Amino acid sequence: MDGGFTDIEARLARLRGGQLPETYDARKIAALAGNPGCRRRSVLDAAAVEKRRVASYIGFPAPFGQSPFAMARESAFQAQVKDNGAMELLALLREVLGLDLAEAHYDDLGDVAGNVNQGLRYAHTRQVLTAVPQRRGTMFDHPLLRFRVAGRHAYLQPDLVAFRHDATFHVVMVRSFPVIDGQADSSGVAAAAIQSAVFVLALRDLLAGAGLDGDAMVHHETVLVTPRDFANQPVASLLDVRKQLATVRRQVARMDRVEDIIAPLPGDLTFDLDADDKGVPRRRPGDLADAVGCVPASYSPECLGACEMCFFCREEASEHGDTGVLGKAVREDLGGIESVARALRLARGQGPGPVPPDLAEAATIVRRAARLRGEAMAGDGAVPGHGAVPGAGTVINEGTGAS
Amino acid sequence: MDETVEELEERITALRAGVRRAVLDGDGPLAGALRRDLRHAERAWDAALDSASTDSASTDSASTAWPGTDAGDAAAPVRPGVMHVPSARDPAGPGAEPGLGDGRGRGALLPLREQVHEALSLLQVPAAPRLIATVHEAFFALAFPTARLTSLRRDEERSFRSAPFARPYYICAALSADYLAPSRGLLAISTWPAERRIIGSLSPRVDFLVSAINVARAIEQVPEPVPAARALLSRFAANVRGSSGAGGRSFGPAGRIDPQVVIRAAQAELEVHAEEDQRTRAGAARRARDQLDDAQQLFGAGIRRPRSGEDDEDEDEDGRPGRKAAGGR
Repeated sequence: MDGGFTDIEARLARLRGGQLPETYDARKIAALAGNPGCRRRSVLDAAAVEKRRVASYIGFPAPFGQSPFAMARESAFQAQVKDNGAMELLALLREVLGLDLAEAHYDDLGDVAGNVNQGLRYAHTRQVLTAVPQRRGTMFDHPLLRFRVAGRHAYLQPDLVAFRHDATFHVVMVRSFPVIDGQADSSGVAAAAIQSAVFVLALRDLLAGAGLDGDAMVHHETVLVTPRDFANQPVASLLDVRKQLATVRRQVARMDRVEDIIAPLPGDLTFDLDADDKGVPRRRPGDLADAVGCVPASYSPECLGACEMCFFCREEASEHGDTGVLGKAVREDLGGIESVARALRLARGQGPGPVPPDLAEAATIVRRAARLRGEAMAGDGAVPGHGAVPGAGTVINEGTGAS
Repeated sequence: MDETVEELEERITALRAGVRRAVLDGDGPLAGALRRDLRHAERAWDAALDSASTDSASTDSASTAWPGTDAGDAAAPVRPGVMHVPSARDPAGPGAEPGLGDGRGRGALLPLREQVHEALSLLQVPAAPRLIATVHEAFFALAFPTARLTSLRRDEERSFRSAPFARPYYICAALSADYLAPSRGLLAISTWPAERRIIGSLSPRVDFLVSAINVARAIEQVPEPVPAARALLSRFAANVRGSSGAGGRSFGPAGRIDPQVVIRAAQAELEVHAEEDQRTRAGAARRARDQLDDAQQLFGAGIRRPRSGEDDEDEDEDGRPGRKAAGGR
């Protein structure tokens, strides 16, 4: 076991090359959970490669996750709800969690006597949170948790953890996207739910490590605090993250098998930029792009909002005519057929050789779809069988619906 | 006169920056010329101010003076060390138009530390820069950028360490009850009892309730509170259980929040927390007195390093007036 772990570590270190390892955070786990089939992201994240740097070096910089306005907005909103002894947050938590009037404690775990060292903060968080059932406490600001992912510990910092009189912890997330008329941006909520699930698991780990019943003590309902409508007034909602907990657990289990993904890759593969003393990369960009291309990706338009490699993968996917370019729904409808050209050939019965057995079902579906489309288009006087790509997608949807 | 006080202030600021750059670049002749301009501008500023208000003749350049770079300027007038009682000073009252030249002008003459002192004296509890600035804007008709407060505590500490207890008060830190380290981002006044400057886990809430009560009381004494003051009270009221919402109980005749309701509600919650909080604070204060030296009792145990270069720059701007004011007394 130990030996295998070291091998994997060494292999990941070789993939990373001379770059500084990038920390693993809740966002990465959430992004991977959104696209679990992407081996490229699994490998790059497991090897702690700085994807932003790699992407811009190979000519596909992604202006992703960097909006200083959004970040400033979020930290201003966080500061607002935590101002004055977290007065706004406490009012909300009293409402959604039914806290007693006496439960108004606030502990800032953001530093230990002015020291912000992560190891020290984690130890302090552990000491304080595991002692909570005996001593009193309600709101714990900036706790630092640890989560084991792909063979390494990642430090995670939830916005706040609340403790209630019935001995349960609730993870609190503060996000700056608004809830308008009771409706929030679904992708924002989904990301927040996944991230809070990661925090729940990390907190359960921490308590379990101290011999406490973490599963029972950390509630699967987390609190999401967002601005209401178009003002800055915060509103809290409860999020049930049981589904996300299962997803994250499954993801993490997969990530621990990152060796299976690495095994078929060439032994000398590396994403090193080969930087000189001054940090200037010396590797040929094309060479690095080839290396990245060695690991298969699973591109879909959703990647554009979640992954630094998205533009590279999109370019690659459209060159290959991957079905994923048309969206996840089309890719799933075409189950198993990887490229648009192949789907069209199968639909017209032009495939080279007989249809392989694993594609037989998909082939039947696209043929039926093509026939239906042909009939429909013939009524309109159009030429059957020569639809443009988006049209093919639409018809196939109709076809599967009919079958 | 050619320029208004505000224009002169802008020019003085620009000139000071120019002097600093010239001195740092080692350009003596340029620095000398700029300093001459600066002195002219400052004199013009004094004159403009004197003619603008005869009763507030006491001018003060200590808040922004640069004794280090402008050592030759011995003519800088020293403001008399008046202690201001916040409730007695009321620029927003009927005698003065809130937000107009007179109130603003007078506020701007106070050094930053005295403005902070005014706001903290009203609140009577340790507070974060943002709240201090809001309170000052609401009751003293002047807002100041919170960024300037980041270095204030460090300047005060430096001043205290070089000449302990030389000033009547210092803007100091609140101490965390566990490690007696400076509590993040909170400012306090050194003349308060140690118990009040200790932050236990209930203290943030207790301090919030106390400041809600004090803000409500201050508003009661003002016949026509400015919108900023009312906004502050309603924000506080919204977060004290029983002081807002249902049935409009908290609203007075003009549809405004009734300070008395806020005070009663805050006091009711305060009673729930007071004993436990007091116990924590008293214990920690005892420890602080036993274990820490004078400077640590005010500014906290543990080492705090500046976190960014920006802070260091601020330090230069605010650090010097601090020393000058100390020497002037």
